[in-house]
Parts: sequence; structure tokens; C-alpha cells
Amino acid sequence: MKYNMTIKKKELIDLYVIKNALKSISRSKGRNILIGIIIVVIAISSCVSLSIKNAADTAQQEGINEINITGQITLDRQKLMQQAQASGNADFRTLMQTFTEPTFEDLMKYSKAKSVKGFNYSMTSSVSKSGALEPVDTSSSTTTTTNNMQNFRDFGPQGGMGSQGDFTITGYSSYSAMSSFVSGQSKITSGIIFDENTSDKVCIINSELATLNNINVNDKITLANPNVETETYEFTVVGFYTVTSTNTETNNMRFSTSQDPANQIYTSYNTLKAVMDASISVAETSTDDNGITNTTALRNQVSGTYIFADATSFEAFKIEAKALGLSDNYSVNSGDVANYEASLIPLKNLSDFATTLLLIVLLIGGIILIVFNMFNIRERKFEVGVLTAIGMKKGKVALQFICELFIVTFLAITIGTIAGSVISVPTANSMLKAQVDAQQNQATQQDRNFGRPNQMQNIPQGEIMGGNFFDRFGGQAANYISDINAAINIKVLLQLLGIGILLTIISSLAAVVFVLRYEPLKILSERT
Amino acid sequence: MSVLKLENVEYSYDNGKTKVLENINYEFEKGKVYAVVGKSGAGKTTLLSLLSGLTVPTKGKILFEQKDVSKIDRYRYRSRFVGVVFQSYNLLPHLTAMENVVLSMDVSGKKIGNKKAKAMELLHKVDLSDDLAKRRILKLSGGEQQRVAIARALSYDADIILADEPTGNLDISTQDEIINIFKKLAEKENKCVIIVSHSPEVAKNVDEIYKLAPYKNEGKIS
Repeated sequence: MKYNMTIKKKELIDLYVIKNALKSISRSKGRNILIGIIIVVIAISSCVSLSIKNAADTAQQEGINEINITGQITLDRQKLMQQAQASGNADFRTLMQTFTEPTFEDLMKYSKAKSVKGFNYSMTSSVSKSGALEPVDTSSSTTTTTNNMQNFRDFGPQGGMGSQGDFTITGYSSYSAMSSFVSGQSKITSGIIFDENTSDKVCIINSELATLNNINVNDKITLANPNVETETYEFTVVGFYTVTSTNTETNNMRFSTSQDPANQIYTSYNTLKAVMDASISVAETSTDDNGITNTTALRNQVSGTYIFADATSFEAFKIEAKALGLSDNYSVNSGDVANYEASLIPLKNLSDFATTLLLIVLLIGGIILIVFNMFNIRERKFEVGVLTAIGMKKGKVALQFICELFIVTFLAITIGTIAGSVISVPTANSMLKAQVDAQQNQATQQDRNFGRPNQMQNIPQGEIMGGNFFDRFGGQAANYISDINAAINIKVLLQLLGIGILLTIISSLAAVVFVLRYEPLKILSERT
Repeated sequence: MSVLKLENVEYSYDNGKTKVLENINYEFEKGKVYAVVGKSGAGKTTLLSLLSGLTVPTKGKILFEQKDVSKIDRYRYRSRFVGVVFQSYNLLPHLTAMENVVLSMDVSGKKIGNKKAKAMELLHKVDLSDDLAKRRILKLSGGEQQRVAIARALSYDADIILADEPTGNLDISTQDEIINIFKKLAEKENKCVIIVSHSPEVAKNVDEIYKLAPYKNEGKIS
């Protein structure tokens, strides 16, 4: 048989190197299975960690993009207090009287900012009983059934504190401004809601107040100006409402029955504005020694709620409002962002845990692989000697070892990824649930420490699983994200591939260094 | 014209403290079979390491086709121009006999038509059956391994065949057969065959003999 022998063209990687690597893998199963097991464990841990981290980060970003953020402009009292202390002005109350909450006109002006998606406003006033109408007084009771954190108002800035009435009446510009009804905390139980644009004197009252005073739908109630008892206004009650969820904040000490949630009266903005105008028209005014003008007109406070498409728009509004003339004494606040961030605590904890786990696994796994490969190459010293003795360049020998590791790593990472993809979703959700439970237990423990009843017991199980929970100090509901989609995606796959390449390079380094150091004659003569 | 020439070659270990070879001046031509003989410790294997390019002389030159071996790519030299039959065979234990032979062809970088067929033919030539050719090295006897090593050295059509005690583990009839193979290679394929051996049988069948003695080069004796 004749054989044609010519010199081959140089190839980037000689095929025989890969062929030899595959043979070496198949002939040394024990060694490669051991390496494979180490890498499978690393791959599963990395896969779960990366899936959790990516899912947590995605959920965080998507959540912040999806929530409708609302914001308010309020007087920055903390800043004013600091300024007062810095200037040595101890009479903070007098100082505060020189500043007013933003006027309705100002609020409207800022609502024209580009970043604002919507604007709602409401007017709140304090009114007194008149005639047979009696407010609900539960100051001696420890049980309440309503939740409204908006009920305490300081009506001071407009000409002194004035007299506190028995009821709080709020006029809304639109239904969407009635947040407790939007969220479902409050519900109409009898009658109908008033028309949002009406200026007829119609209102809805708490069903408790209705029961106490034996009021029926379409009955009339009379409310008085706390400053002038003879100045009265008659309203038609068109409906009753109840508040379905509870909040221990309602157990707090109240300075007036007007702060009792049962004494909240709701009407349209136009109605209350008409009442205010009427009151101002008949009011008497006087100026005290400090030059502050006092009036007998009904006190009121207008508050505006700006609606933003996302957190970025909210941040943009802060700048736009300043550009439109908002003084530094006022601040733009949003409970939604802080509330949402609070809801992300378990998710962030999980993401941090996933990152830490990934780093530890990579570090320990990398060290184990390096050490294992060092011993492995020592054992294969003779092979290195033979291959180099028959003329295989050291670089190719090293390349063969790298190929072997890469093939084993790739197979192990594939197996690890498949296994990881199966367990990552349940593991992620199980770990997230543990985090949510931990947060809830911490909050429950705080309840016990403060001697407060455990409100979690009053929430249906379904809501607990959904993570409906309350931040005690902010008074806002923190809806913990309790379910994430930790499925493998292309990003995770690429990251795993990166980890595979990184592990191969790290563990190959030992092989390359050893191969480059060995001299064939020395190896073969040592063996002989 | 010599294919391989040693000029005043000297080799020592331990930075010159242990001298093994001194003032060696040999010439090897294509088409001939050479024997390098000598007692144990005479430096036969060291000389073979020098000729195969596994190491370089501490003094003097080894010229392959007029080129100093120490200055050329010795991996390329080993893989293409020199076929070595090591005394301890140096075969890869995780491969079969045939795979060891094919690997050498792969490493040589020479384009060889049907490597497996050629490997099998070579293994047949050294009296190894198909069954033995497909066995892993550790499942072969010493003699069988030696034959695989010879087949490997012949596999990529090297100009020079170096053999360190190639018949050491073979019976008389196989020894003759192997020597005949080497002789045919020299005569018909114009190869230069250099056998390092202390076997008188080998010495009888070669074209030229070089005798080595520790620290003493006795030169060509026949």
C-alpha cells in the first residue's frame, strides 16, 4: 500500500488535539466524573443563584416601573425647624405661622409640569355638630373598625389654630382622589356616592355615625362652623360607607372626635369650596398683637396629589417644580416609592444572599478545581513526557488538557443548568417566602414588644401570602413581593457560559504552568 | 553525504560535574544501519537522547542535513525527521496500540491518507494481530509493547530511525525479523537506522558499528 505523505497546512487547532482530548476523557472516566460532579454542583448553585438574582432584579425594576407613583408638595417642617434652631429662633410655632401650605393656585401651577400624569386635589375642614347630630366618640373604647391615616389635620397656618370641630369634612376633586375607596378599604354600603362635580350640598357618612344618629339615606344633617356656632350648613346624606380593614393606628390617643374615622364626612370639592366661600363671605376678621390676621371663617386645607407614570417622572417633577417657582421650604414627597422599596426588602435580601452564595461557590469551587487539577496533571506527567518526546509541542499538550477540561466543564454545566432550571423556581420562591416570613415575624415581634394586637391575625390567609403588610412607622401598606419568576433566561445562560469559561481558564492555569515546566527527557528518565 | 553528523560532541550532567560523553565525532548516512554499542553506563542512551533532539550537547554540534539541531525547532525535528524506539517504549497507556501509532502520525503533521490502515499495516509488519492492535497498551506484554514502539517510529516516514535496545524483549526469530525490517528500511527506503544495543546479534547484522566507552570514544570499528 502506498501512502502519500505531505506536510499539512497549519490549522488553528489541530483536530487530533480535540480527538485526543475526547479519547482521554472517555478512557479516564473516574477522574473526569469527579471533575464533572464538582462542576455540576458549582453549576447548579450558580444557576440557582443567578436565576434568583436576575429574577429579583427584574421584579424590582419591573415593579418600580409599573407602580403609579403619587406625590405631594408639603411644607418642609423639619428643614424649617433646623433653620429656626440654627438662627436661634426658639419660637418655632410663631415661625411656622409665617409659612403656609401651598395654595390651591400653586398646586395647580405645578400640576402643569410635563412629568405629571394626573392631578387630584381635596379640601379638608373641621366642622361642629349642630342640632341633634352627635359625633361618634370612642375615646374610651379600645376597638375601632376603620382605618384612615389622613384624619389628623393641622389647620393652623391660615390665621391661627382656630377651634377644633367634631367632624372632619373632606371634599374631593374626583373619585380617583378618594384613595381608600380606590384601594377597596372603604365601600359604599347603602345609598350612592355623590357626583364628583356636584356643588349641591350632598355627602356620604360613616355607617357608624348613621347608626348612632339614626340617619337614613337622603336625610339631612346640619354642620356648624366651630368658630361661629350660629353659622350652619345643611347637607343631604346620599350614602353610607364602611371601612373594611383595620389599623392599630386608630387606637392612638385622639385630641378631638373629628379625628375619629367614624366622624369623617366626604363630599365633592365643589361642594366644600362653595361652603368655604359662603363662610368667608360672612366671616369677621381681626389682627392680633403679632400682626397675624384671625378670621371666624371655616379653616381649610387644600392638598394636591400628583400622579406620575414612574419613579423617573417623580424625580423629574422635583426639578420641574423648583423651576416653576417652588420654594426650598417645600418638599416633594412620595410614600409610594418608600413603600415600594420597603416591599422589596425580602427580594433584596434574597438577591444579596444569591450573590454571596454565588461568590462563595465560585471561590471554593475554583480552589477545589485548581488543587484537583494540579494533582491531576502531576499524575499525567508521563503522558506529557511521551507526547512532547514524540514531538508534540508543549502548547498543544496544554491545549489538549484545556480542551478536556472545557469539554467536561461544558457537559457538567449543561447538566447543572438543566438541574438548576428545574429547581431554581421552587427554590427561589421557597427562599423568598422564608424571607417574607422572617420580615413578618420581625414585625409581629415588634407588635408584641409595643403591646399592640397582632394585625396579621385579622388579615385573611390569602392576603398574608400576598404579602399585605403594614409599616408601623410610615402607616403605609408594604406589599411584599412573594413570588418571582426565577426561570432560566438567555442572560442566565450566558452568565453560566461565562462561569464555565472562567472555571476552565482558572483550573487550566495549573495545567498550563505544569506542562510548560516539564522537560520530556527529565520525565522519561525519572520513569526509567 | 551524512544525514546526521556529530562534531566534537560532549555531554555532562550537573553543570559539567558528571561527564558522560566526550569528543564524539560520528557520521550517519541514509541507506545504512548503524549500531552504537557499549557497556552499561557508556552513554548509549544519552547519545540517543542527543540524536533524537530530546537534549542538546554541552559542547560540540549535532548536524542534521547540515543544520545544527540545537538551533532548529526540535519538536518539529522529533515529530517529522526522527523516529525513536525508546528502551522503555514510552507508549500512552490509555490508548490502544493502533491509537498510539496513529497519534504519532497526527503529531507529525504529515498528510497521510488512511492513518488507521497504515497503522494496522505497520503493526502487522511487526507481527501484531488485529486483536492485539486494538488492545490498550497495559494489556500487551513487554515484547508486544516494543513492537508497537517500533511501528510508531516507522509510522510517519522519518528519515532517521533511532532505536534503543529494540530487540531487548524479543525472541530470536522476532529479533531477526525486526532487524530485517530495519535493514529493508535502510536499503529500500533509504532510511538511516541507528540502533543502540549491547546485543551481539544486532551488531552482526548492521552495516557499521560505533563503540562507546565511558569518557573514551573508540570510534568506528567496522
